[in-house]
Amino acid sequence: MLLIPCVHCGERNASEFRYAGEAGRRPDPTSASPDVWRHYLYGSGNPAGWVTERWYHRAGCRRFLVVERHTVTNTIRVVRPAGA
Amino acid sequence: MRLPRQRGEVIDRSDGFEFRWNGRARSAFRGDTIISALAAAGERVFSRSFKYHRRRGVVSASALDPGCLVQVGDEPNVRGAHRQVAPGMDVFAQNVWPSLDFDLRAGARWLRRFLGPGFYYKTFMAPRALWPWYQRLLRHMGTPGGTVPRERSSAYFDKRYAHADVVVAGAGPAGMAAAVASADRGARVMLVEEEHALGGHLRYGAGAHLAELSRLRQEIARREEIEVVTDAVVFGRYDDNWLGIVERRDGGGSERLIKARTSMLVVAPGLIERPYVFDGNDLPGVMLATAVRKLIRLYAVRPGERAVVFSANEEGDAAAADLEDAGVEVVRVVDGRRGEGIRRALGSSGVREVELDDGSRLRADLLVTATGWTAPTSLLNMAGCRPRYSPRAARFLPDALPRGVMATGALTGDGSLEELVAHGHAVGEEAARRAREPDKDIVEIPALGEPAHPELFRSDTHGFVDFSEDVSSKDIERAADEGYTSMQLAKRFTTATMGPAQGKLELMNMAHVHAESIGVSVAEVGTTTWRPPYVPVTLGALAGRNFEPARRSPIQVWHEDHGAVPLVAGQWIRPEHYGNPAEEVDNVRNRVGIIDVTPIGKLDLRGPDVPKLLNLVYVNKWSKLPIGSVRYGVMCAEDGVVLDDGVTGHIGEEHFIMSTTSSGATGVWEWLEDWLQTEHPEWRVLVTPVTSAFASINVAGPKARELMQRLVDDVDLSPDAFPYMRVRRGRIAGVAHSFMWRIGFTGELSYEIHVPAAYGLYVWEALMEHGRDLGIRPFGVEAQRIMRLEKGHFIVGQDTDGLTQAGSVGIGNLIKLDKPDFAGKPELVWQADRGARQRLVAVQTLDGAIVPPEASQIVKGAGSRHILGRITSSRLSPTLGRSICLALVDSDATEDPLTIRLPDGREVTARALDQLAHFDPKGERLRG
Amino acid sequence: MRFPRRARFSALNLFRKGLTGESWPPSWTQHEIRPTYDVVIIGGGVHGLATAYYLAHNHGVRNVAVLDKSYIGSGGSGRNTTIIRSNYLTPEGIRFYQRSVELYQALASELNFNVMFAQRGHITLAHNDSSLRTMRWRAEVNKLEGVHSDVIDPQQIGELAPYLDVSREARYPILGALYHPPGGIIRHDAVVWGYARGADALGVHIHQETEVQGIDVRDGRVRGVVTSAGRIAAPVVVNCTAGWCTLISDMAGVSLPVSTFPLQAAVSEPVKFFLHPVVVSGSLHCYVSQTDRGELVFGAAVDPFASYSTRGSLEFIEGLSGHILQLMPSLAHMRVLRQWAGLCDMTPDYSPIMGPTPVEGFYVDVGWGTYGFKAGPVAGETMAELIATKKTPELIASFGYERFADGRLVGEKGAAAVGH
Repeated sequence: MLLIPCVHCGERNASEFRYAGEAGRRPDPTSASPDVWRHYLYGSGNPAGWVTERWYHRAGCRRFLVVERHTVTNTIRVVRPAGA
Repeated sequence: MRLPRQRGEVIDRSDGFEFRWNGRARSAFRGDTIISALAAAGERVFSRSFKYHRRRGVVSASALDPGCLVQVGDEPNVRGAHRQVAPGMDVFAQNVWPSLDFDLRAGARWLRRFLGPGFYYKTFMAPRALWPWYQRLLRHMGTPGGTVPRERSSAYFDKRYAHADVVVAGAGPAGMAAAVASADRGARVMLVEEEHALGGHLRYGAGAHLAELSRLRQEIARREEIEVVTDAVVFGRYDDNWLGIVERRDGGGSERLIKARTSMLVVAPGLIERPYVFDGNDLPGVMLATAVRKLIRLYAVRPGERAVVFSANEEGDAAAADLEDAGVEVVRVVDGRRGEGIRRALGSSGVREVELDDGSRLRADLLVTATGWTAPTSLLNMAGCRPRYSPRAARFLPDALPRGVMATGALTGDGSLEELVAHGHAVGEEAARRAREPDKDIVEIPALGEPAHPELFRSDTHGFVDFSEDVSSKDIERAADEGYTSMQLAKRFTTATMGPAQGKLELMNMAHVHAESIGVSVAEVGTTTWRPPYVPVTLGALAGRNFEPARRSPIQVWHEDHGAVPLVAGQWIRPEHYGNPAEEVDNVRNRVGIIDVTPIGKLDLRGPDVPKLLNLVYVNKWSKLPIGSVRYGVMCAEDGVVLDDGVTGHIGEEHFIMSTTSSGATGVWEWLEDWLQTEHPEWRVLVTPVTSAFASINVAGPKARELMQRLVDDVDLSPDAFPYMRVRRGRIAGVAHSFMWRIGFTGELSYEIHVPAAYGLYVWEALMEHGRDLGIRPFGVEAQRIMRLEKGHFIVGQDTDGLTQAGSVGIGNLIKLDKPDFAGKPELVWQADRGARQRLVAVQTLDGAIVPPEASQIVKGAGSRHILGRITSSRLSPTLGRSICLALVDSDATEDPLTIRLPDGREVTARALDQLAHFDPKGERLRG
Repeated sequence: MRFPRRARFSALNLFRKGLTGESWPPSWTQHEIRPTYDVVIIGGGVHGLATAYYLAHNHGVRNVAVLDKSYIGSGGSGRNTTIIRSNYLTPEGIRFYQRSVELYQALASELNFNVMFAQRGHITLAHNDSSLRTMRWRAEVNKLEGVHSDVIDPQQIGELAPYLDVSREARYPILGALYHPPGGIIRHDAVVWGYARGADALGVHIHQETEVQGIDVRDGRVRGVVTSAGRIAAPVVVNCTAGWCTLISDMAGVSLPVSTFPLQAAVSEPVKFFLHPVVVSGSLHCYVSQTDRGELVFGAAVDPFASYSTRGSLEFIEGLSGHILQLMPSLAHMRVLRQWAGLCDMTPDYSPIMGPTPVEGFYVDVGWGTYGFKAGPVAGETMAELIATKKTPELIASFGYERFADGRLVGEKGAAAVGH
């Protein structure tokens, strides 16, 4: 069971969190073309390596966190609050 | 035959009792395993093998023993050489027909030359009609394993958590020394041992071993910081040192799962003795040196009368000595270190003769082999370690380990008893240090000596490599011939190592035979990945007690007392109806009814920026919603697909209450938090879920106002003062902090009231009491569904699906595309531009008596298979006396009437209405 | 296809070789890798091998290399839970998977390799109204497409699978199920081996332990691949990988809307045969079947977060066991023998991505999520047709790469569930 070092709560079991996907930038909805918007909706980097993603501490502080995780070893190296 | 008292025996001769084996009474002592008790009585055959139904006996006298799987009562596949016997136990041989002694399917041995590896891939291809019969034949010929009962087990399985600084897996001398040293360094230690008592190989050792065993046991017993768990195995090491441990209880009849997060894992499992491959190696009477020593020393069982011992190490020599002590005639010790060897064992129901590699034959009923060891590195592999094969040691040795995992004992090398203990001690100290000082550098403990051992895997004849799968070395060679030249392919093709021992007895021999067959060394072939679980674990232990919480409103007890039929709605249990939903509908339309809608999602929103949030998540506009007003809103995901809907009321200054569907409650809350935390952390909004803080009741019907006026004294309920789509705070039945809004899901004059949950039942009963003369009746979810359908109100997730965008559901005016931004807006703009591909329509069959089942397909004309849409909601309307439906239909379908294909194959015609409501389309009744 | 007498699998030959002790010829050969091929297929699982087989068999294109970085069938093909069915939701989906079922039914004789397809029947349980409605939806569309499926009630379910708890006392009582008699299980390795043997006999080169490390693209068209065994020039390169599909496609500069998630599974010890059909529960997120050897094979939904790890987790097997015992409470004493994971390439609409890409000559047969193995034969057949004729077959027209940018997602997303 993976441990996620929540910035507010410390190291907690991953089952307390909900995975919220790769972190992406929301394009400007007023000017984005369908291609750009749909890349935001459906595209993903899917690297076999470090990825920046979000987790929601559902059963804890209920804050969204931005996490850097290695998708092959599941090592986590950075965790910071979302929106920062 | 039972021997006189042995110094280290584990049986209690003062506690004798009876059990049953294949229906016949047998005796045993407390401490016997099933197999040791039977062996003491002279039994040698305990099972028949999978494919060829050959007689099998003791090989390893351990939990791995492949020939010792038996059925105990309801429990299949019990490890008979590990499970302790209990009084009255009912034990049966598995997979024999008609009996263990006389198994008709043993005739398969005559077909052996035709039943090579993968023979079933090479035949039975035609005729196809006979394939089910071939399959049944295959099943009858070989389904190993016992029987699963129909009835639920009465065994109790539970789970616990453990938080240790150091978990030591294995309590041989090194493991015990490590546990003691860790505890003395201040660590909380858990010591896990798979046998019923601590000690490992010391238990069946000579005098010095037994003395050291006693000393170490006392050291452990003295330290409270060491929690000892016996008859338990660390079966998995998962991410971040999360360990799965299975502890057998109730004499093995039940298991407990221990989930431990530990700072340090010390792996000390010792070594597993490896069988030798030769012709006749599966005959009863051929067994490993460790098996012989355990039978003699632990269980006081004489395993035979005349023995040949093939020894290549000290264990074999010790076994020969133990046999002599036990009065067995050791006819010859064949020394593998000096190049001597054995060729085959002969016999039919057991060993009768042993042929040496010089051709001579010796009469014997017991053949003991001691040709080497397999290192059980599983837990290390699970931690990412890649052990390396040492040809000098003829086994794998651990290589680099991550910080949180250490290894000690024979797994890591050879040494005298003192050296093993000293190594364990050093590892234990270091483990405790690492646990307590996670930021300090690690200290490497010097390894034990790398042992020298002859590489003896197979004689010059062919024998069984996998006893449980009946796979021989010849089979593995054939697999290579046929192109299965990697270990994995050979494994899958022959099924070797896929049996109940999970490869622990088979893997090294298989690797060696396979390597030989493709002309490489064992080191080059590698082995396969060890995957959890290291030992088989019951589903019961993994499941534990079944915690599936159910949510009930505070009024649910009333519903059940009054005949409500329960409906499972997600996690909630709600009343579906109270006996007659049609009457419930009629009562609401003509008098007044109440429904418990507590599961509706409710979110309390406070702050100056709430309208911004509402504008962002809903498709419509919210900036100008005055205090005291309520508005219906639809939410979309960023792809424009309808996510949820509900009403939101402006209840006070900078204070709103949002309602959602009951299944969407948590999702919408997270959705709001996502926007607030990620995209707009500058907005000042606080969200508090209050779904279970309020009990919610919908009071509906022409007499609703009259009833409410009897219960509400501080709010003016007259139509002008409290019109439709307004919210008011006040006291209901005297309960403060309540609020109510006028909305119209059922299409009648109605008040949805929300009271603090603790008063839910009280208010409900007050309504029932005060409404008696008005004809009040409760109504359930089914009646509500009928009424909302009569009004054409869609249900998200039923009348919409994972692709339905907002432009399809008839809410055209609601979608304000002139708003600068809202979730899903770009897609809705593009949908509006190209036109919605599907539309939600109200449909009525021409014959009102026919109620099309939901999901009936709408097709393009009679007999057509071209699908235009489907019925999403359908009911018989008591109000209209005919069937009513909602349907999703392709926008370009122009057919009129529509053709609906019913599940029974009939086709019926129907018309689409111009609006979604079947009843009171102008909504006059709810605006009263 | 026909094999020469010596190599043909048959009861007669089994008998002959049993008597004479003569060994069987190898099912495939290890060839020297050539510097150029007409078609290079990346991925030696069922998709890659089937594509190669049909290219050779149906279209006479034999100068084909199949490359796999490990042994054939080491990826999803060797890790799936072997379920075959065609009871999908959309007409396009049904027609596609139904073609696969037809190919599977004929595969043993076609390939002269018994793939042991046991059409035991497939039951998808519904534990609530919404689920039951979805089952009805699938049943009706199935019927219109000529596929045998219908909704059955708890009593009928109990007759088909007596060990299931169909009582009203269960926490989530079974309300009904979608019953699909032609569905069943198969020996997944045998399918891989059968296609490999067939392709090899037709002249295809299968290169195991050969890893693709780069793809040569110049002027918008593919020129070949760079492998651990050297460069290979080829005008056509096909991505038939699963788990690695974006890593491979990235080498060609083609980005795919795919996220890779582990899918775990487990197998129990063998017990006497008691479960005839395949049983799936969407609400309880689990499914189970019993092999002819008596082992139960179980699985559930993909892991909750994307990763390339194929290590099993404890929480998976705990949750799965709990749900299996809710379905069949008397199995508490059965033991889990092994757990493992494969990698699933998840797309936004539960449907694959098949066809040409913006890079000329570079084709993809990817995005197979949790439904890749059952589609092996039809994917091979259609990809072979596409490559040989350069025309996209009707059966895969809705799976094109451009559909995401166009906003035309496949309707299988309409009713998302545990699909197996």
